[in-house]
Amino acid sequence: MNKLIILLLLGLVFSNVGAQNRFFTKDARINFNSSTPVEDIIAESNQATTLIDLVKNEIAFSVLTTSFKFRRALMEEHFNENYMESAKFPKAKFSGKIVSSIDWTSEKSVIVDIKGVLTMHGVSNEILLKAHITPGKSKILASAEVKVAPESFGISIPSAVRDKIAKEVTIKIDAVYVPYQQ
Amino acid sequence: MTKRKTVQWVLWIFLIGLIAAFAAIYYAFNMPHRNLANEKSSYILSAKQLISDFRNDETIATQKYLNQAISVSGEIKGIRNLENHSIVFSLEDAMEGVSCTVDSADAVTYSSKLVQFKTGSKGSFKGRCSGMLMDIQIINCVPE
Repeated sequence: MNKLIILLLLGLVFSNVGAQNRFFTKDARINFNSSTPVEDIIAESNQATTLIDLVKNEIAFSVLTTSFKFRRALMEEHFNENYMESAKFPKAKFSGKIVSSIDWTSEKSVIVDIKGVLTMHGVSNEILLKAHITPGKSKILASAEVKVAPESFGISIPSAVRDKIAKEVTIKIDAVYVPYQQ
Repeated sequence: MTKRKTVQWVLWIFLIGLIAAFAAIYYAFNMPHRNLANEKSSYILSAKQLISDFRNDETIATQKYLNQAISVSGEIKGIRNLENHSIVFSLEDAMEGVSCTVDSADAVTYSSKLVQFKTGSKGSFKGRCSGMLMDIQIINCVPE
């Protein structure tokens, strides 16, 4: 009888440890918007992979730069060839930590501060951002918005088109995380 | 009279050149997106081969396959219908295999073929390789 109880307890402990400490998705949506009086440039990818570690409060995000879709094929070409140099730097990454407190069991939407490092075009910069997170047992929703200046990532924009591209590009992220089973 | 004719010719050539330049700019600005259905695959290989190429050396594999039209086939281990109506088929491994994304418009165009692709069956896709995250991503896919 005692053995049975121990076994049951062990089972409970392991199922908790194994199951819901990490949530992930491979279909997170990320879009960016560069808006100027001359031109609005919008691009979107649905292929961002992201992982949340609920114990360490860490979040990682990565996307392949060639997966962004633009309205115009020419913009897509310029983005990949001239600005992001996707052949040389195929990925953009963010890895950060939730610095404000969060209760993963609450299932209530909260706004948290995330501090981390964004790497793109081979340049890493520390950034701070706010994210909306809705914890849940079977899924976690998260969305965030951050503004970045292309120049601070070593992306040089020729003066001829400088007024067509915003000084700060707004990046929006939307993700529905599910439990990560290994 | 001859001088006037020369001037006329120059003007005509200038005008034609101008129209050609505008046409070229207009085309470049509005050039169509790549349509993988009309492209010949640069590489035809199994999903297993592609996975092993990327696991061996991601940098070399990325250089080789990035943005190339490739045909890949393997066992379907997972199907995900996304919110934007595109469909992702995972080949060989649901987590770390090859993810083939069929865009929403193509999901409609090729729906009769795609319904035959079920978990456990063999799937074959032609698409553009965008690199590797957890899995190797092939986007703008059409079924083959």
